[in-house]
Amino acid sequence: MKRILSTLGRSILHIQLALSILTGCTTKQHNEDEQRRTPIFNGRNLDGWHISRTSHQGTTGNFYVEDGAIVLKQHPYGQGGVLLTDRKYANFELYVEVKIDSFCNGGIFLRSTESGQAYQVELAVPGANADLFGERMEISIPGKATAIGSVWKPDDWNSFRIRMEGAVPRITLWVNDVQMWDVQQPKNDFIAGATEGMIGFQSHWSAQYLPTPGGFNMPGAWRPDGAHRFRNIRIRELD
Amino acid sequence: MLLLLLLLSGVTYAQAPTYTNSVGMEFIRIDTGRMIVGRFQPPYPVPDDTVRGMTRPMVMWMGDGRPYSAKEFALARSMAERDAMPGFEVVISKPFYIARFEVTQEVWQRVMGTNPSVFQGGEIGDTSQHPVENVTWEDVQEFLRLLNQVENTTRYRLPTEFEWEYAARAGAEGDIPWSETQRVAQLGGKTTRPVGQKEPNAWGLYDMLGNVWEWVDDFYNEKIFADPVPPATGKLHVLKGASFVGDVKNATWFTHAGGPGNGWDVGFRVVMEIEEE
Repeated sequence: MKRILSTLGRSILHIQLALSILTGCTTKQHNEDEQRRTPIFNGRNLDGWHISRTSHQGTTGNFYVEDGAIVLKQHPYGQGGVLLTDRKYANFELYVEVKIDSFCNGGIFLRSTESGQAYQVELAVPGANADLFGERMEISIPGKATAIGSVWKPDDWNSFRIRMEGAVPRITLWVNDVQMWDVQQPKNDFIAGATEGMIGFQSHWSAQYLPTPGGFNMPGAWRPDGAHRFRNIRIRELD
Repeated sequence: MLLLLLLLSGVTYAQAPTYTNSVGMEFIRIDTGRMIVGRFQPPYPVPDDTVRGMTRPMVMWMGDGRPYSAKEFALARSMAERDAMPGFEVVISKPFYIARFEVTQEVWQRVMGTNPSVFQGGEIGDTSQHPVENVTWEDVQEFLRLLNQVENTTRYRLPTEFEWEYAARAGAEGDIPWSETQRVAQLGGKTTRPVGQKEPNAWGLYDMLGNVWEWVDDFYNEKIFADPVPPATGKLHVLKGASFVGDVKNATWFTHAGGPGNGWDVGFRVVMEIEEE
């Protein structure tokens, strides 16, 4: 019994040692990656960002900075919108920390056009969280984050690392350092053939301007006064 | 005798319901009237699973069918009521002519000698009747200058936002029913489409919604709707009508958007002023 315990103890020690080496490597790698990324949000204001004035989600969202994070809320009631970088990016690795209220449908836009056609990493809890979709465009191959439940921290900050490369894009997503999917599209899905575009964050619309015959509303798409938050937004452009 | 006098005075064309100019642009006369602009009364959910004022059930995306809580229903109502706006009356006091179609690539080519459009030729084929796009507001001013020169007049200009909206609504007070949007708005697809392929509105105008966004004369106020008096200055100009990549949510005459848009889905149509009658 003692022997068994001793063996077990040694095994645990070995596992701990192995873990510490692994963790050390991961941290070192992480720091190097971090240093190669350039902040694209200054933590104080929205310099370098603008609101899409042609998105069907809305054109007047309540987007502001609070406690070092970009906050997206609807404004006025039922009107969401899209916040875009002023700059366009072609091939890049994007790092961003995300904290989202439940029952609010949004997303991270990749190579977005000015009116918000984009490859989109969905942000929705509950929902198709961290899946790859097209926003206002059909994409050839979606991405399914089947493992998201095992890494997701509800009502807390979660890190997203997204790599997008190629005119016919290959897109890879890691959430909290765990790979969710790696998708090589067979063609460039943008309708005007764009190979670069803006980084964007979306708040979904939930109500029309007025009750409309034959129309519907989506009060479940963004709960009243809900918010998505984004911080530590960094990008590394790839050759 | 009166008709003869009118003919002789050269005013008849300015009173006719339609007019076609020397470069082939067709115009429709729009008479004076009134409308309420900027009314905002967003529907909000109420506990019986419908939306106030709507007959269809609301679409719930609350995952797993989670309903609104009593607190959320109350919050939605208070926010919707807080943000609601009654709008304001706009009087269109002068009749005007507005083009039946968006300016086509053919017309732009004829006036400017160039075609800046992204969607032209190639796999799409003959795009002469597609709207011109990829034009800035300033490009449009140059087009108008040359059009006025060709026609030896000063009457051509962009519509004001209110003229555009009045013409697009064609008498409608409320928002466009979604079934009508499907009939009149050029939505979907991967390129612009030739002008005039969908049904016209009640006043005979085509593609007021969809196909390409349309520049109007006004500066953009960065608000959801226009102010009673547009800003005197600004960085951007207003876009109306949404484009083929819009959808039923924003392809309505109420949508008040701002430049620059995507470029490849931004065009315009022209107003011709009526001389004093």
